[in-house]
Amino acid sequence: MEKKILIPIDFKIESLNTLKHALEERKHEKSTVILMYSAYITDSITELLFYNPVKIIKALASSDFNDATAILINTYESSLLSLKIELFTGINKNAFLNFYEAQGIDLIYLPKDYCLKPDKNGFDPIPLIKKSKVEYKEVAWASDHSSTSKNELNQLFK
Amino acid sequence: MSSIRKITILLIISISLILFFLGSSVYYYLSNYSYADFYKRLEVRASVAEKRYFESNQRYAQVLKNIRQEHLELLSDEKEYIVYCPSEAALKQIAETNSIPINLLNLVYAQQFANFQKDDIFYYGKKRETPKGFYIVIVSAKNYYNTHHLILLRKVLLIGGLISILLIIYLTHLFSKRFFDPIDKIITKVNSISTDNIHLRLDDIKNTDEIKRLTTTFNNLLNRIEIAFETNKNFISNASHEFGTPLTAIIGEADVALLKDRTPAEYKEALQKILKQSERLNKISQSLLYLAQIGYKENKFNYTILRTDELILQANEIMNQLIPKNKITLDFELLPENPKKLKVMGNKDLLMLAITNIMTNACKYSSNKPVIVSLASTNNEIVMIIKDQGIGIPESDLPFIFDPFFRASNTAAYDGYGIGLPLTQNIIKIHKGELSINSVLHNGVTVQIKLPIAKL
Repeated sequence: MEKKILIPIDFKIESLNTLKHALEERKHEKSTVILMYSAYITDSITELLFYNPVKIIKALASSDFNDATAILINTYESSLLSLKIELFTGINKNAFLNFYEAQGIDLIYLPKDYCLKPDKNGFDPIPLIKKSKVEYKEVAWASDHSSTSKNELNQLFK
Repeated sequence: MSSIRKITILLIISISLILFFLGSSVYYYLSNYSYADFYKRLEVRASVAEKRYFESNQRYAQVLKNIRQEHLELLSDEKEYIVYCPSEAALKQIAETNSIPINLLNLVYAQQFANFQKDDIFYYGKKRETPKGFYIVIVSAKNYYNTHHLILLRKVLLIGGLISILLIIYLTHLFSKRFFDPIDKIITKVNSISTDNIHLRLDDIKNTDEIKRLTTTFNNLLNRIEIAFETNKNFISNASHEFGTPLTAIIGEADVALLKDRTPAEYKEALQKILKQSERLNKISQSLLYLAQIGYKENKFNYTILRTDELILQANEIMNQLIPKNKITLDFELLPENPKKLKVMGNKDLLMLAITNIMTNACKYSSNKPVIVSLASTNNEIVMIIKDQGIGIPESDLPFIFDPFFRASNTAAYDGYGIGLPLTQNIIKIHKGELSINSVLHNGVTVQIKLPIAKL
């Protein structure tokens, strides 16, 4: 059955491991994926005037990150129908539930041990998601501690 | 200096043109409007005068006169003429007695009404037909507004324009100087850097983003040049060392053997040692030659379409023969579903050599600890990652690992002469790929090879 999956990310390649495990688990079913980045909306009125989530996402995604998503899309080409990145700017449970409903999410995958490390304007939405009492699954992978500080493509591999 | 002047002149010319067009259009339209408006005012006065004159009702005529006096101001030198004109021939006489231009009367006679200007006096004339014959109503006045206000406007525009042009000259000069000064500084500083003081760098300028970017670009370039210089120095010392060691061994061995008479077995042993060192010399010079060849004959290799997963499998088989104890694991978990995305354009032998080189290094410097070889592909590149758990590369040595004959400081215990990596890098380079190496000391090396996907 086709399902819409939500995965929180921090634009670090390591956070895409959640996606990799989710897709591996659902290899025989179709899925559409929404990668969610959470960020506080700016207070500045001039910045709000030119507010453009597409541009924010583009600025945050490094070329390595885009390569990593491309690798996953290529690997799960037949089961992954579409993948898009959305910006979540809510701050409470209701805002998240709204987002959840508006996007028509069926299932959420969360990293179990990995802690999201978003940029200075971003925040970690996982506590919010857990509080919202929606269905979620946790996946774990062995984190490679030797290179955690760097944002390298090899963090996606074993 | 010349570009400051160029910019100043360009700006002055363009801004003066804009000012000129703006000023002249303001002047032109305003004066046009003032003429039209003045004739309108004359026309109103003429029609009021006409109504008053021909009105049979005396009360009504009085009202009109009052309105005229109260609401229509008297223009300077305003004159009203209402003259009877029995025929066209009488026009000349009327003109002479009232000193009205004859041309105006002719125009009014022909067109019912007419505007006319003589010197600074403006006329409006109108023809009225009555049962008795024609009357001609004429109002004339001087256009005070035109003569005084427009002249003032002209003066203001001219003086204002001149002052603003002077201001622009000053400002553009100031701004372009401000903009070009840091560039001048950079030029002098860069000029002062030569081969003797290549370690000098440009000072950080907090001025503008672009200038700052320029200085960082220059500094990065200087860094790379410095490394290239270092490489050159290293190459000579490393190469002489690599060639020197076996030669010293050969000379020493031969000297010792020739000191006194030896038994045939001793000679044989000495010759074998000499042979071994000569073979090593031969190997070094051959690989050096190979390296040079790949560097210079980029276009002379046969390129075919290759599947990278097959390449890795074959390389693994070769590794199993070369180092039977290896622990290479192939990770094809992230292999793309579409096999087209695994195909690259390349020379099979060269790519095989590059991959086995990296694999050999991974096994050698980790003393056969597990090595993981992964393959994946993005939309335009295949990505190959070879991860080992070996001794790693010290950070200070990382910039030099692609130099021929360079060996990292912690590799003394391992056999090798520093040709493999530069060779591999050259091979990847001629395939328009990318080779990057990340390492943490004692924690293994991760080699990432990117090759462009073949366009079919």
